[in-house]
Amino acid sequence: MGVAFRLSTELVAGIFVGGAIGLGLDTWLGTKPLFLLIFFFLGVAAGILNVFRTAKQMTAEAERNAGNGKPGA
Amino acid sequence: MAAEEAASGAAHHGGGLAIDPMHQFRVETIFPIHFGNIDASFTNASLWMLIAAGLVTLLTIVGMGSRSLVPGRLQSVAELSYEFVSNMLRDNVGDAGKRFFPFVFTLFMFVLFCNMLGMMPYSFTVTSHIIVTFALASFIFIAVTILGFAVHGLHFFHFFVPKGVPVALLPLLVVIEVISYLTRPISLSVRLFANMMAGHTMLKVFAGFVIAMGWFGGFLPLAFMVAFTGLEILVAFLQAYVFAILTCIYLNDALHMH
Repeated sequence: MGVAFRLSTELVAGIFVGGAIGLGLDTWLGTKPLFLLIFFFLGVAAGILNVFRTAKQMTAEAERNAGNGKPGA
Repeated sequence: MAAEEAASGAAHHGGGLAIDPMHQFRVETIFPIHFGNIDASFTNASLWMLIAAGLVTLLTIVGMGSRSLVPGRLQSVAELSYEFVSNMLRDNVGDAGKRFFPFVFTLFMFVLFCNMLGMMPYSFTVTSHIIVTFALASFIFIAVTILGFAVHGLHFFHFFVPKGVPVALLPLLVVIEVISYLTRPISLSVRLFANMMAGHTMLKVFAGFVIAMGWFGGFLPLAFMVAFTGLEILVAFLQAYVFAILTCIYLNDALHMH
C-alpha cells in the first residue's frame, strides 16, 4: 500500500501543480483555457517523470537493503 | 460538546448512537487569543504539538542525563534514535550533511511523536491536518532552495537543465523539470497527511461497526481493529521515516546537485 501510495501522490502532485500554474497564468493574462491546457499536460509529464524517478530510487533502496541484509537501514 | 455530539448523532441516526468518524479531526479552541483579525487561539492541535515537542525534549535530556557507558532503557532509546537519524543522513547526504543533523533529527522526532501520540485513544493527531504537514513541507522546500542558491549561486539553475538533451527539446524539458521541482512540497505534505487521515478514519469507521453489529457480530470488526491498530503504528513510524529521508534527499540535491 505504501509503495503504490507514494507513486500515486507523485503523479497527482505533478498534475495539481501544472494545473495551478496554468490557471494562475490564465487569470493573470486573461487567456482563459490556453495556459491551463498547456500546463496541465506539462504537469502530467512532470508527474510521470517524478513517478519514474521515485520508482528508480525505491529499486535502488531495495537493492541496497537486500545487499546489506539489514532491514530499514 | 456533549450536546453537539448528541445533536450530530441525532441528525445521522435519528437519535441512535453518535457515530461520526470525522469528529476526531475537529480543531477545538481551548482558550482564545486574537491579534486584531488574526485568530491565534490555543487549540487542541497546539496542545498536542506542544506535548510532542515536550516529550522529545524530555526523552533526549532525561535519557542522556545519566551519560552512563552501559545505557539504561531510556538512554538506549535516545541513542538509537540519534544513530538512526545520523546513519540516514550519512547514507543519503554524506559528510556534508552533518551540519543539518539537528534540523533533520528535530523534524523526524517531531513527526514521529505526533504520529505516535495520535495512536493513543482520546488524543488528537496533528499530522492528519494538511495545513500542519504543508507548513512543515513548505518550510523544508524554501530552506532547501535557499541553501541550494547559497551553496551554488546562480549555478543552481543548472539543476533544472537535464544533461545530454538536444537543444530543441531544452525549453520544454526545463519547464517540466521546474514543475517537477515545485511538486516536492505538495507530494511531501499530502503523503503524510493522507496516510494519517485515512488510517484514523478507517479505525473509527470499524469501531462504529463493532457497536452497530452488537454482541454477536461485533467481534469480527474488533479483531480486524486490533490487527489494523498494529498496522497503523507501523504506518506512523514509516511515514515519519519517509518524511525525514525525503528531506535528506532534497538536502543532498541542494548540496551536490545531480
